Amino acid sequence: MPPYDDWNKIDEEDEEELQDISWFEGKRDVILFCIDCSESMHELRDDPNYEDTKTSHLFTALEAAVQIAKKKVISGPNDSIGIMLFNTTRKTEALDHNSELKKGNFAYQPIEPLSAPKIQELIQLLDAAREDPNELRRAFPPLQDKRVPMGDVFTSCNWVIRDGAPKTATKRVFLITDEPDPHSGPGSQQLITSARTTLVDLAQAGVTVEPFFISTPEKPFDVTKFYSSVLLPTNLADEEEVDVSDPSVLPESISITRIEDLLSQMRFHEVPKRAHFSIPLQLAEGFTIGVKGYGLVTEQKKGTYKYFVDLGDRMEVATVKTVYVDEAREAEVEKTQLMYGMALGTSAGAADEEDEEEDSQADSVVRIVKSGKRPFYTAEDIRSFRTLGLEPGIKLLGFKDRDQLAFEDNIKHSQFIYPDEMSHSGSKRTFSALLKSMVKKKKVGLALTLTRRNATPTFCALLPQEERTDEAGWREAAGFHLIPLPFADDIRAATVVRAVRASDELKDAARAWIDKLSVKNGAYPPDSYPNPALAYHNAQLEASAFREEYDPDTFEDLTLPKAEMIHKRAGALMKSWKIALVNDKSADVVTAPGTVAGMKRKAELSVDEAEIRAMYQANNLGKMRVDQLKEFLKGKSLPVSGKKAELVERVAQWLDAH
Amino acid sequence: MPAERAGYTVTMFLVDTSPSMGNLRTVELPPGPNGEERTAEITHLQWALQYVKLKIQEMIYNGRKTDQCGVIVFGSEETDNIINEKHGGYENVSEYIPIGQPNAATLAKIDALQPSSVAGDPLDALIVGIETQAQYLSAKRTWTRKIVIVTDGESPIEVEDWEATVEKMNGLDISLTVVGVDFDDEEFGFTEPNKSNIKRVNEEFYRGFTSSLKHGIVGTCEEALQETARPDIKQTKSTLMGTVLRLGDVDTKADEAVEILVKTSKCTAISRPKSWKKFAIRESVDEDVAMEDDEAVRVAFAQLKMRSQYYVDRSGEAGEEEEEEDVKMEERDEEDLLDEKRTEASNGKPKEEHLEKVEKEQLVRGFKYGTTYAPCPDGQFPRLPTRKGIDLCGFFPARNFRRELSMGEVQYVWADPASAQQQVALSSIVQAMYEKNVMAIARWVTKDGMDPKMGVLTPVVLEEVDCFLWVQMPFADDIRKYTFASLDHLVSKKGENLTEHPFIPTQEQLDAMDDFVDAMDLMDAGEKDEEGNRQPWFDPLLSYNPALHRTKQAMFHCAVVSDLSTNPLPPPHPELTKYFDPPRRVLKRARSAIEECKAAFKVKRIPKKLPRARKDGHEHAAEEDENLLLLDRKQPLSATPSRAVVTDVPPAPSPSRLKAAAKKPEDSETEEESEEEELLLDKVKKPATPPRATKHPLPTPARSLSPEVDPGRAPGRIIGSTFPLADFRKNLAQGDVVTKAVEDLSAVIIELVMRPFASRRSEELLECMRALRETSLTEDEIDAWNSFLQDLKDKCISTPGNHEFWSQVKQVGRGLSLISDKEARKYGGRSAISESEAAAFFD
Repeated sequence: MPPYDDWNKIDEEDEEELQDISWFEGKRDVILFCIDCSESMHELRDDPNYEDTKTSHLFTALEAAVQIAKKKVISGPNDSIGIMLFNTTRKTEALDHNSELKKGNFAYQPIEPLSAPKIQELIQLLDAAREDPNELRRAFPPLQDKRVPMGDVFTSCNWVIRDGAPKTATKRVFLITDEPDPHSGPGSQQLITSARTTLVDLAQAGVTVEPFFISTPEKPFDVTKFYSSVLLPTNLADEEEVDVSDPSVLPESISITRIEDLLSQMRFHEVPKRAHFSIPLQLAEGFTIGVKGYGLVTEQKKGTYKYFVDLGDRMEVATVKTVYVDEAREAEVEKTQLMYGMALGTSAGAADEEDEEEDSQADSVVRIVKSGKRPFYTAEDIRSFRTLGLEPGIKLLGFKDRDQLAFEDNIKHSQFIYPDEMSHSGSKRTFSALLKSMVKKKKVGLALTLTRRNATPTFCALLPQEERTDEAGWREAAGFHLIPLPFADDIRAATVVRAVRASDELKDAARAWIDKLSVKNGAYPPDSYPNPALAYHNAQLEASAFREEYDPDTFEDLTLPKAEMIHKRAGALMKSWKIALVNDKSADVVTAPGTVAGMKRKAELSVDEAEIRAMYQANNLGKMRVDQLKEFLKGKSLPVSGKKAELVERVAQWLDAH
Repeated sequence: MPAERAGYTVTMFLVDTSPSMGNLRTVELPPGPNGEERTAEITHLQWALQYVKLKIQEMIYNGRKTDQCGVIVFGSEETDNIINEKHGGYENVSEYIPIGQPNAATLAKIDALQPSSVAGDPLDALIVGIETQAQYLSAKRTWTRKIVIVTDGESPIEVEDWEATVEKMNGLDISLTVVGVDFDDEEFGFTEPNKSNIKRVNEEFYRGFTSSLKHGIVGTCEEALQETARPDIKQTKSTLMGTVLRLGDVDTKADEAVEILVKTSKCTAISRPKSWKKFAIRESVDEDVAMEDDEAVRVAFAQLKMRSQYYVDRSGEAGEEEEEEDVKMEERDEEDLLDEKRTEASNGKPKEEHLEKVEKEQLVRGFKYGTTYAPCPDGQFPRLPTRKGIDLCGFFPARNFRRELSMGEVQYVWADPASAQQQVALSSIVQAMYEKNVMAIARWVTKDGMDPKMGVLTPVVLEEVDCFLWVQMPFADDIRKYTFASLDHLVSKKGENLTEHPFIPTQEQLDAMDDFVDAMDLMDAGEKDEEGNRQPWFDPLLSYNPALHRTKQAMFHCAVVSDLSTNPLPPPHPELTKYFDPPRRVLKRARSAIEECKAAFKVKRIPKKLPRARKDGHEHAAEEDENLLLLDRKQPLSATPSRAVVTDVPPAPSPSRLKAAAKKPEDSETEEESEEEELLLDKVKKPATPPRATKHPLPTPARSLSPEVDPGRAPGRIIGSTFPLADFRKNLAQGDVVTKAVEDLSAVIIELVMRPFASRRSEELLECMRALRETSLTEDEIDAWNSFLQDLKDKCISTPGNHEFWSQVKQVGRGLSLISDKEARKYGGRSAISESEAAAFFD
């Protein structure tokens, strides 16, 4: 039952950004890795990443599981993960409260909330296996000459999940196997039927199976041999909309992957796909389809710290409860009693004091009216002010040329919409036709958008995205990006209106090195830039949880520019540009003071840098005037605040550093 | 004229309280609840003071210490002003509110102004105003001086020597605004019939007077009031922040590396509606306050402060169920009001409350690493060492820029305005990039040690300056790659590509859509420019944030009126909603295309159906009935609409029914939320609709595997809330699900007890408890019963609880108390509760 208290509510004022976090953290996610342990999974092959090492598919699968677990433990500390192996002779030690699994299935790690010891256990196992490739074979001996019926595997999954997963979580099984045809022999029909029924059971328990089929050149994975007939009736995709009333369509997203891609494939599925909103898209009066909105670009922030209480034996998180208090009375006020109004201003100003003496104190926090009058709004009123009485939905206003969507008309991240056949039949064809037409005519849509009931209305551009597949096999889905446009209130005027411009010669000199540093068909590559601050934080968090020292030197920041490569390619050209700059006459229009050779740090100095440096070396900086110091600092874009001593210190620091 | 800067202003309001201001006028009010026209009679003074109050409210809203005002009244009974004190004269002018930063008390004082019995001279007041202001600003010469006269112009003015006043005012750079009640204004289109002679002369005088001032204006009050409601953009000048644009290694290859001093400033910045303060009625008003005014009882609304309290659960149970909350969230406030359902929904199970309050001092900061505690007393780990500046990483063709990846606010990057050489340097790069049509990938660190951001720089060539625009782009971590089914490539069971399918639009449909897109084009739907060419419709520069301005309007309104029921908020200014509908021109043009599309696509809204077939129809009906009852209760209490409905957890089918339900879907999470919302809506709007029927989407087997699980409904519960006892017995009869049945019935009972109108079902609930206890005792579920009972007690006696039901339970007495060890032994069980504890439990 939902509790009555409404503690710890998230403020809606910050909208989407916040929303996203609460959304993903609010729901727990359970993943059971269900890994095939057969002979072929154990077979040692050349490691996909390292030369001269041999690893098995099982090793790679387990390593992928560790990577996923390590990410999850930080992004969703309440999530649970379990690992079950099948086709192994190892037996689950009977734990009294857990169900005994079917033969050939082994729950290596039952489903439990993530924790440091669990992850460390896995890491140790993998380390051992890297040392001695036969370690895994010893730990999980493969079943010889036969395979466990897949029906038993699904049933075992069901039991493992039932034992460990909280009811309300999203539950998924990541099935990893390289065997396309587990039941080829006699009696296969019966085994297929049992697999299918057990899968239906699993589905009923709210569990999704996401298969990762490993395909190798010598053993290609053909889904039609077994899995398509098993998986088909209940469609294992995470695509909830696929219409099963029409069985003629093959479900998508059964990933067949090379072992090297296993981890990246899993990454796609790491976060369960959840829609942020499901609202109508009104194309015109009486012409409405259904869409769902997804956040494909959302800033992933560091987790925030929590307050813990030391209970002696363990550390427990303290729950934060926010209450509203009438401070003069020290009385808590029920949420439902709250009224909303304007700040009453600061307490009476200095000038008021004389004649306001007697009630100025009270007036700052109290407004007195005659009984029966109501000078404040209710929560419902407040919401109607925010929404202007609109209901959630996207209302198309019309179309504009693609180039009308300016670079600078951006205020926050976009969302992605995709048709929802379940709320309006015909949504997909309509959406698809609209998309095609807009792409063809190079148009963007303009829409009035209210995504949730207590959001605020915004104008958005609908940017169509065509379906396309990249080399890595990642298919970009068809849909619209919903890009919020700034309001007049959000747009700032240009601060600088005039400046000296470069001559054509200098421009050409710059062009020379820009040419060298351009990637011809390049684009901004998000995948190449993992957030270094986040990774650095997470690495320390992990070390802290493992009670290890963290060595900052091991950290590599991939976002740093490749300076060496830049100099190699364009160093000479950059140098000649700098010389051209010094000789450029354009700058002389303004009475620029004596410019010294070398373009580097040549701020406009009323005080010569050489002079200052000399003073500094003679330890005489203190003799300079404050305005001289400030002028110098200003030229270096350094702060000019503080006392003279601080300025001297700052100048000295700068001179030290350069 | 001192530089224009926000604040640093003293505004003097000179208010006419002469007897004629007491004349009554009729003003229109927004239509009543049933659309009837309403009017009210107020005095000219009250009407004109609205202008003063709105202006002062704006100062309070902006909250600048340097935005101050004072009020002087003329036509007051007494005389109290600085000139009169020194030199005498200037009768019937008094300094009503001294100059200072205004607050709510200022507004209250203005409300108290009444028309008097003597007339006052506005020029006297003006001279007093100038002098008072000048004295106050004697040490603040750069401040802006403003004077506002509010008058009906019916009182005589002694107009000799007014030129001297003009000179003085121009000398001090004072701007004067005269707001006249029913002054004629041709432009605005207002002429007062039967205007008195004196007023005509006075209006003429004001016009002459203000036109001889450097900054003077006369306006009619009605227009002034309208103008204050117009959305007005708070101009913020972005500050320039200094940083460095770098390319290459400036430390080791200084001769080659590029380093340009640049300044950045914001190009876009989100402005949000100002937050509301929270108030509540103070239960008992101070004696003295109540006594002070004997004509009516007064109510005090006290402003509330937010406070955080910390609780810890020592039982260790809740670790699993406890809600995660970011510490930082406490800083933010409000607007969670309608959001209860989400958090409630995520909490499928009754929360055990063994919470104990702890002081903030006892707490240590740390992170959760799964269930492991990762100590971090500082609240953050050492930051990544970084160096301030913008580093160029490379260039790429602008056509490959993906607009949808832009993540946030846009920044300008300017060359240092103080250095011509830096300007030339930046300009050459901007122009070269512009010419080549490339953008740059750049890594930005705002301050030494701050977290780096990745983004792109695009060259911008403005009229007289070259600069860059920067926008943040996502890191790998910020991108989510979800898979979506293809819209075009549908593969049949046999592995063939389908070209015809209801999901794939036909040629006819494609053509209809093409026509629609053409007809709805906005490129020529706007205003005409000077040459008569139509401009595109919609410009962000003219689109006001409706929520922000509406909220502001509401805030102003409630600050100046004392009762919102009789004086509700007027409708929003038309400027706010001008872009809410496509332009009429376009709609007219598109009419036939829209009709064609409707006919071609045949989109149908799918009525939402129950996800699971229910065997017994009457069960369904009973639920409906209950919801309608809830609804009745809900309407008056609109502030808490969600609670009653959301707590209503529908029964899940029993295992016996599962077979029948096998093909029915689970619900996805987002569906759940939005539907619940829609559900609420439906109910509020048309209570006659059976709410149940709208709750779930079309049953489709495919959906059963969606990864989302319905949170509010505790999937797989086998006891429903409608006939819990019947369900319970049915399940017991089947045998093997006793634990589950006991667990579910416990949950259902507590749920029902906590529902509104639980008293209707008390008897039934007591019956359920008897059955539950008996089963618990005989089937060795003793601990389940004991913890259930404790839980029930806690819930009942908490607020809002159900004290009534708990006392009924107590009346039943020992038969419903805890199960003691003695009792348990009879059935071969054990209990941690002694007989005496059990007996004493209800005491």
